[in-house]
Amino acid sequence: MLRQISRLVDPLKGRNLSLTSSCVESKLLRTSQFSTNASESNAVEDVDTKKTLNKAMRTYLERAREHDEFMKTQRREFEIGKRHLANMMGENPDTFTQEDIDNAIAYLFPSGLYEKKARPMMKPPEEVFPQRKAAEFDETGRPYHFLFYTGRPNFYQILHEAVQHIIELNKFEDAMIRKKLEPDPNLTLELSGSKWIEKEILETNLVETITDKEYSSFINVMDRLASLPYSYRIKDLIMQYRKSLINQSKTFEAIIPQLDENGRQFVSVYECRRKRATASVTVRSPGTGKITINDLGIDYFNGVQQREQASVVWYNIFDRFRGKQQKPRFFYCTEKQRIIMHQRPTHGMGQQRTIGRNNV
Amino acid sequence: MLNIRNFTILTEKICQNIRLLSAAVPQPSSTSNNPLASTEVSQTVKEDVLKHPDYFNVHNLFTVKDLFEARVHYGHREGSLDNKMLPYIYGSRLGYTIFDLDKTAEYLRHALNIAAHVAYRGGIILFFMRSPQNAHLVERYAKECGEFAHTRFWRGGIFTNAEKQFKAVTRLPDLCIFLNTLNTILTQHTAVRDSAKMGIATIGIVDSNCNPNLITYPVPGNDDTPIAIELYCKLFKEAILRGKAKRKEHLEL
Repeated sequence: MLRQISRLVDPLKGRNLSLTSSCVESKLLRTSQFSTNASESNAVEDVDTKKTLNKAMRTYLERAREHDEFMKTQRREFEIGKRHLANMMGENPDTFTQEDIDNAIAYLFPSGLYEKKARPMMKPPEEVFPQRKAAEFDETGRPYHFLFYTGRPNFYQILHEAVQHIIELNKFEDAMIRKKLEPDPNLTLELSGSKWIEKEILETNLVETITDKEYSSFINVMDRLASLPYSYRIKDLIMQYRKSLINQSKTFEAIIPQLDENGRQFVSVYECRRKRATASVTVRSPGTGKITINDLGIDYFNGVQQREQASVVWYNIFDRFRGKQQKPRFFYCTEKQRIIMHQRPTHGMGQQRTIGRNNV
Repeated sequence: MLNIRNFTILTEKICQNIRLLSAAVPQPSSTSNNPLASTEVSQTVKEDVLKHPDYFNVHNLFTVKDLFEARVHYGHREGSLDNKMLPYIYGSRLGYTIFDLDKTAEYLRHALNIAAHVAYRGGIILFFMRSPQNAHLVERYAKECGEFAHTRFWRGGIFTNAEKQFKAVTRLPDLCIFLNTLNTILTQHTAVRDSAKMGIATIGIVDSNCNPNLITYPVPGNDDTPIAIELYCKLFKEAILRGKAKRKEHLEL
C-alpha cells in the first residue's frame, strides 16, 4: 500500500491520479518513521519515481530541463547584451525598450539587404528560437491528444472539427428545409476581401509542419465548409483561418459633389500633375458631354496620345465621382456631361495659360 | 455451396494454426511499457479478472440479429474473395459472398473481450480506418471512449521508427483496432504489418477480400457500410468503457 502511495505522489508533476489527504499523511508518516536521514529517503523516492514514470515521460522531462536551461542562458545573455547596447548608445539600461534596441541595431549595423529577416537583429530568445510543444503525454506515456499518433494532432483536429461542423450544418439545413425556411440572404458569409491563411502562418499557429498536400486538403475542407448555405452560423471559426486583404475601394473616401448656383453637381480637383504641367479639372453633372480645355475642345491637343492621356484623367475623375453616386451615366463620357480643364505650366514654363470653354 | 461449407471446416482449423505461427501474439511480459506490470491492482484480483471467461460481460453487447440488421454479413463479390477468408464464409448469393454471422459473433465477442481487458489494464488503443466516408465517425468514437484514432495517410515508420517520427521516445499503442484492414488503394494497411513487427496486438474487421493472416484477432465482416462501422465502433467503445470503469473501481478499492 505504501509503495503504491509513494508511486502516486509525483514530485515532478502535479498530476496525481487519486491522491487524497490521507495518502499524504501516511506518506509523511512513513518518511518520519523509517528514514534515518533526509537524503536517504529522497534517494529511495527518486528510484520509486523512476519506476513509475514511463520511459517516454522520463526522456521528455530530461529534454525539457535541458531546453529550459538553454533558454535561461540565452535570456541572461540577451539581458547583458541589452545593457551593453544601452551603455553604448548612452541611454539608461533600465528603461531601454525593444524598440530602442531595434533602432540601435539599425544604426550601428546599417544593412542594405532586401530581405528583412537577413538583416542584423537582436530579439528576445523567445522570439528567435522556435516554440516547442509541451509534453504530449502523461506519466504513463499515454498521449493527451486523441489524434496523437497521426503525428500532426493539431492539424488533423482542425479537419476533424471542420467535418463535425459540416455535419451539424447539414443537419440544421435539413431541419430548416422541413420547416420551409431559407437561409437569410443578408447574413450570407462575405468572403471576398479575405483569403485563407498561408501555409507558413498555419504551421506557426499549429506548431507543426505540414506538407503541401495536407495544406491543400485543409483548403478544400475549409472551402467546403464556407460554401454551405448556413456557414454564417460559424462565421467566427471560419474567419479565424482567413486573412483580410487591404481593400482599396473601402479605404478610399470619395469627393463629395458640390452644388453650383444652378443646382448642378460639380466636382473640382486641383493640382493634377503630369510632369511639369498642372491642371485643375471640374466635372459637372448633369453635363452636356462637351469637353473644354483652355477654351478649346479635345482638339486643343494635336497629338492622339495627348488626347488619350487627357481622357484618362477624366475617367479617373469620373471614378471618384462614381464613388458617391453609382449611376452609369458617370461612367461614360456621355453628352450630358461637361468638363472644364484648366492646364497651366508650372513656374518657369512661360506664362500661365488657362484653357477652357464654357459650354452650357 | 455445400462444398464450400465442408471445405471451410477443414481450412478453419488449418488457418487458426497458421495464424498462431504468423500473427503477433503479444507475450505476457513485464516490460516497463506496461504501466500495470507492477501492482496497482492487486495480483489476485488481476488473476481473477483474467481467469473469468467473460469478466466484462461483453457477450450481452449485441446479438446476431443486430449484426444482420447492420449488414455485417455482406461480403464482396465472389471474384475478389481471399481464400484465407473461406472458413468464415456461409455461402454466396447473387454472386456476393455472405459471412457466417454465428462465426462472426464468436470472433467479435472474443475481440471485444480483448479490447475490454486491454482497457482495464490501462493500455493504449488505436483505431484505424482508411475509408474517407467513415473516417470521421471512427475518430468521433475513439475520442468518446478516450482512446486514439489514425484515419489518415500512414507515414511509414510511425511504429517502427517512432523515436524519429515523434522526435522523442514514445509509448506505442498496446492494441490496434482496424475497422478496415485495407488502405485507400485496396492493399493491406502498412500498419498491420508494422504492428506485427512491433509485437502490438491487432483486432481487425476483415472483409472477404482481405487477408487475415497478420491480424491477431480477426473478425470476419463487412468493413464498408457506414451502419456496420458504426455498430463496430459502438461495441468497441462500450467494451472499452466497461474495462475502464472496472479499472477505476478496482484502483479506488
